[in-house]
Parts: sequence; C-alpha cells; structure tokens
Amino acid sequence: MTYTTMVRNLCLTLLLAGAGLTGCKENTISEGVLPYFEPATNDADGGTWRTVLLSSAATITVSAPTAITSDAYQTELTSVKNGLLTSTPAQNTAVNYWGQGGVVRWNQIARQLVAKYNTAPIFNDATGQYLATDPNAPVASLPFATRLYALLGAAQYDALVVAWRAKYQYNRPSLNRQGLVTRVPVADVPSYPSEGAAIAETSAQILTYFFPNEAEYIRAKATEHKQSQLWGGINVASDVKAGETLAASVAAVALTRARTDRFSTATDSWTSLKARAPYDVTWQSLEIPARVPVVPLAGRVKTWFDSTTVARLAPAAPPATSSTAFQTALAEVRNTADSRTRDQWATADYWNDGQATYTIAGHWNLIAEQLLQEDRQNELRAARTYALLNRALHDVTTVGWQAKYTYFVPRPSQLDPQIKTSVLIPNSPAYVSDHASQSAAANTILTYLFPVETTWLKKQSDAAIISTLYAGTQYRFSIDAGTQLGTNVGTLATNWAKADGAK
Amino acid sequence: MQQRIRLILILLSVQLPLLTTAQGLMDGFMKGDRKASLAVTYSQETYDTYYRGTTPFRDPNLGTVTTQAINLYGVYGLGYDLDLIVSAPYIRTEASAGYQPKQEGFQDVTAALRWEAFDYKFGNSRLSWLFALGYTMPIQNYVNDNILALGQGSKNIDGRTMLHYKSGGFFLTGQAGYIRRGPVTLDRIVNVYDPSQVNPNSGMKVNVPDVTEFIVRTGYATKRVYVDVWGQQQTPYAAGTDIGPGIPFPTNAIGFRRVGGTLFLRLVGRLGLNFGYSTTLEGQNIGKSTRLSGGIIIGN
Repeated sequence: MTYTTMVRNLCLTLLLAGAGLTGCKENTISEGVLPYFEPATNDADGGTWRTVLLSSAATITVSAPTAITSDAYQTELTSVKNGLLTSTPAQNTAVNYWGQGGVVRWNQIARQLVAKYNTAPIFNDATGQYLATDPNAPVASLPFATRLYALLGAAQYDALVVAWRAKYQYNRPSLNRQGLVTRVPVADVPSYPSEGAAIAETSAQILTYFFPNEAEYIRAKATEHKQSQLWGGINVASDVKAGETLAASVAAVALTRARTDRFSTATDSWTSLKARAPYDVTWQSLEIPARVPVVPLAGRVKTWFDSTTVARLAPAAPPATSSTAFQTALAEVRNTADSRTRDQWATADYWNDGQATYTIAGHWNLIAEQLLQEDRQNELRAARTYALLNRALHDVTTVGWQAKYTYFVPRPSQLDPQIKTSVLIPNSPAYVSDHASQSAAANTILTYLFPVETTWLKKQSDAAIISTLYAGTQYRFSIDAGTQLGTNVGTLATNWAKADGAK
Repeated sequence: MQQRIRLILILLSVQLPLLTTAQGLMDGFMKGDRKASLAVTYSQETYDTYYRGTTPFRDPNLGTVTTQAINLYGVYGLGYDLDLIVSAPYIRTEASAGYQPKQEGFQDVTAALRWEAFDYKFGNSRLSWLFALGYTMPIQNYVNDNILALGQGSKNIDGRTMLHYKSGGFFLTGQAGYIRRGPVTLDRIVNVYDPSQVNPNSGMKVNVPDVTEFIVRTGYATKRVYVDVWGQQQTPYAAGTDIGPGIPFPTNAIGFRRVGGTLFLRLVGRLGLNFGYSTTLEGQNIGKSTRLSGGIIIGN
C-alpha cells in the first residue's frame, strides 16, 4: 500500500465513520454457496440402465483391474495416502470445487461457455457491415446450446453407465472402505473405474468439439478434475486411468453422432425457404441494420427421440395475419406492452435468456441443478437427469425451428411498431415460442423426476411461458402452441425414462 | 393574511441560485438561519454516443437517448451554520431508435445536511470550510438494469467536504466527496462468464461501485445576478464492470468529466430564473451527454 492510498483510505474511513461505514472492498456480484452432500443412493444396478448413444453398456469393455493385494495397487494407494498428508491449499480448493459434483460442474462450465459465446455479430460502423464470425468461436444460439447440452448430457450418462457396470463387475473396494477418509463426501460405490475421470474426459472432449478456441481452458479443467480424485483420496491412479479410457471410447461415439447430425448445414441459405413460406406477411429482422438469423435450418438436425414421432408433434399452422384471431392476438400484445406493470417487466427480465446468458435451455439446467442437489443425486443419476432434460429440450428446439422457418411469422413489433419490448427482440421468427416450448418440456420432465417440487416447478414454468407476452415479443397463439409442443415432447422423454431401468 | 405572506416571503428571500444533482447537489453558499428556497427546474439531456468502458460507441438500435427531468429542490437553514437540502426528480428517458419503451417516474429522493464548520475572515474576504452528509434512496421500484433506466436503484450515502472562498462578488469553491452506493437486486440471475468466480451461479444481488467526486466552481455572485463555471470529475472507487452483453448495468464502473455553467437572474422580489448548460468531455460507461436546464426559484 502506497502512502497516498493509505492517506486516502484513512480519510475515507474517517469520513464514513459517522455513517458506520468503511471503504472496504466489495464483490462486484454476490455468490451463493453450494452444499456438499453424500449421494442418497448408490444405484448398484446402474450398469444395466438403458444407454442413449451406445446400444448397451457392454459394447465398451473395461479391462479388469489389478488386485488390491498387488504391489502395483499398494504403491498407488500409498501415493494417495501420502498426497493427503502433504496436500496444498490449491489442491484442497480443487477438491472442494469438484466435490460438489463433476456432472454439475461440467454443466456449469458448459453454461458459462454458452453465455460467453452467446453474442450477436459485431457491427462495424466504418464499413456498415457485420464482422464475419470465427468458425472456432461459434455463436452459441439456442439450437447450438441445446445440441451441446444434450450431447454433453448423453455422453456423460453413457460413460457413467459403462463405469457403473465395470464398478460392480470388478468390485474394487472404495478407498473409504480401505480406511481412508475422503476429503469430500462421495457415493459408497466401488472405486474402479473412477466416475470423476470418466466425467472429466467425456466432458472435455465434447466441449472442445463445440468450442475449439477454449481447448486449453477445458483441458486444464479436466486435468484438475482428474487430479482432484487423487488429491481428495477418492481414487487411485489406475481408477482414474480406467475412467479416462472408457470415456474416450464413449466420447468418440458421441462425436461421430455430432459430425453427422446435419447441424453443419443448418447455417445454409434460408432465402428459398422464405420464398416458399405459406404465410401472408413474412418475418424481417428488426435489427438496424438487418441481421441474418443464426442457424435457420436447425429444424433439420437429427433428433434424439424417434424422429417420426417427434415430427408428428409439429404445431399446426398459425392464424393468417389478416384473420380476426391474429388481430386479437396482436392487440393483446399491444395492450400488454402499453400497460406493462413493474412485476410483468421483472418476469420478462428474469426469463429474458437473451444475449450472454445460458439460453432458456441453460436456465432450466440451472433449475435442474438446484433440484438434483436437493435430491442428493449421485453422478450417474445427475447425468441421467441432464441427459433426459437436454435431449428433450434439443428435440423441442428442432421442431420449433422447423415451424419458425416454415411460416416465418413476424414478431409483433414488425406489424405494429408501437409495440415496445422490455427485452431485445430475438432475431428469429415468432412462431412458436421457444420459452413456452422449452419450459413446458422442462416442467414435464422435472416434475416426473422430482414430484415433490410439482407446485414450484409449475409456478416457474408458468412464469417462463407467459414472460414473452409480457416482454412484447410473442403472441398468445404462439405461446399456446409452444406449450403444447413442449408438453408432448416432454411426455415422450418421460416415457423413455420410465423404461430406462432406473428406479 | 398580510403578515403570513410577509412571513413566507421572509422565509423564501432569495440569495443564491440552486444547483440540481447533475452538477453535484450542493454549493458552498450557506442558506442562513430559518431562510429557505425552493426551485423547480426542467432539464433535457441527450446523447447519441456512450462509452463502453472508456471507448465511445454508437448503437444504431438505440439512436439518440433523451432524458427529461423535472427536479424539485429545496434548502432550509436549520441554523446559521446548518442547512437541510432535499431534492427529488421526476424523470423520463427514451431512445429515438429501436423498440425499447420509454421509462418514466420518480427517481431518487436525496436529503442532506450541510454544516459550516469553520470560517475565517480576512478583511473583505471570507474562507469557509463545510462538511455535508447526504442519503439517497429510490422513491419507487423502477427498472435499474437497462440502458434507459431512471437510475441505479441503490441507496447511497454521500459524504463530502468543501472549501469556499468569497471576496466581494467573486467566489471559488472546491469540494471532494465519496459516494457509498449500496447493493441492488436485479430482476434476473447474472449469467456472465467470469472465470474468477468460484460459483458461476451468481445471484440476483449485485454491488454498485462507489465513486469519488471532485468539483471546482468559480464565478460571480451578487443579490441580483449569479454566474458560474464549474468542472466535475467522478471516478469509480470500487472495481466495476464495463457495459457489455449480459453485464448488469448497475455494476458498471461509472466515471466522467463534465464542465458546465450556470446563470441566475433575479426578476422581481423573491422570484428568479435559472439557466444551466453542461457537457461531458470524457466518460466511462455513461452517455456522452449535453444538458440544458432552466428553472424558477422562489426564496431567499
């Protein structure tokens, strides 16, 4: 501290002493603290659960571990024991961080990266053009984000089913059962192969595929996650190695799917689609200058649930702009916007999920995070929750995008410029509402998984569904059709979950 | 009746013009024991360029932002060395482009005590040393996380000290202040990417950075005419963010350097007219605005 800083602080302290204040350092944004918990169940039958990407867990062979009586194992165990005695503060921080759940942490990292890349193209005032996007720094729009969350969830889940199968096949006792005390609470499951390492390796490979520019950051996170299993006394080196190896095999399958799911062509030209639109007035970008939509062909992307069944859930055609039904809906948006209350504004803002956010799907991932922590779900079960939720959210997006770029329904402000919106108008056609479809699907699935929270979840999804009408960006018919679509896809997902072997 | 009117006129006998919040709430002139004045001013502030961090930026989707305000400002001398100052603006902000709704309503009420702690006389000249403590709170729960927001929505404590020199009509005032801004609750959960945060699920409650403020004002003041020029510098003290996608507006570190001037003319009796102009030379997370104001002052 320099002399001037000291004098300044002293002066400020004196000045503010009368008001009982001091000029101390404050956090810019306050943070909550997550609790630690021992998982409620071990799910010993987890290895038999129905996998998503793999035809079954048995398709990936995990080699047998060495016996715990072997010298090799004893050396590893001693090394972990010694490590616990000499652990550094940095290591403890890492153990605590990952101790709150690997699946949850990687989902958070994924959401953070989505928020970071969920940006509009940069407009260059000098040239009057938008700058081209770097393919290694993709725009994390809603279709991009749902695809990422779904693939991450599915790959983590399959990797853990494989891990669980091997755990109970080989039954290498956990370190807690061998007299060690882990630094954080963990599920009482066999230690070989390491579930932490399996999650780390899968997640790192999937996320690096989506965000090539973040490879270094992601690799560092994964290395720390794997190491934290040793530092926390949870696994020995061979457990970690085995988890890593099986995860690499699962990730390879997941990435093959990603490369062939038709997303790469989703950014192709959409003008021919617009020309064919069976609608009287078509959507235009309301940005100044007009901006092209990010992934207009995302409706073609391969679905997770049966594609024929999902396609059958497509919403009916919206009312024509000349119809009374449409004019009534438009008038309702105008009236709501003109008399928007502070509470309605707050709801619209809470569920905005626009630029630099996790997207609406990510918002529901955050809600799921709270629920699965309250429910004390183990890693496998947490992965199942995320895989189920996010596959459904992805398919909802696919169908919703198909409707958007079939009908090209204009946003309310395009037809009535007097409609002022409390959030920025999303740069995509209106019909159907993403908030309604995503939230109705999430509500259906999470209510099935967490029946205790039915009332609370209904309240959340109701607010999310109506938020876009409050914001002035959506019509009621679009919201209703979205809700219907979301509920139907959600039901499809819960039916899958009812038969996946998990109790 | 006559007596009552006279009493009110005595209470409101004009001495000096009033200065609204835009260039600091207070000047160095004490009101005097049981003297009072009330000002109603209208101001209009516009900008088409704003600073993201310290980089000027124009957004075609925002166009020109106009802020109109009607400000009510009163001073009352509780004693010869103690004044009570109260201020409350009604504000309307709107953008010329895009689809953002205009926002309108009462902003923040401020109450401050100003104490003339010391004064020294040298012949015709006088030097006084003043201290002030103010408290500001929002009058209503307005939207605080928006570029067109009426205000930051925080409850603030403002501590400042002033040196005021007067010789004949000439005066020079220097003041230094620290504004402690309290936390505010947003309508939403913050999702911004910040690797330094251990828990990425940041809450809805965010901190508004504190600022320091320096104002220098000089001019000429008589019973009938007052004219001044001033410079004001506000600097963020606590760490804050820069305007950007997803970043909460209240957490932005706000700073600026402004200059301006005031002209006051006494019309008849205790009634006077006040005109003001100011412009922003440079800024940080704030509009590069120009402001014009005019008002009526009744009092002494």
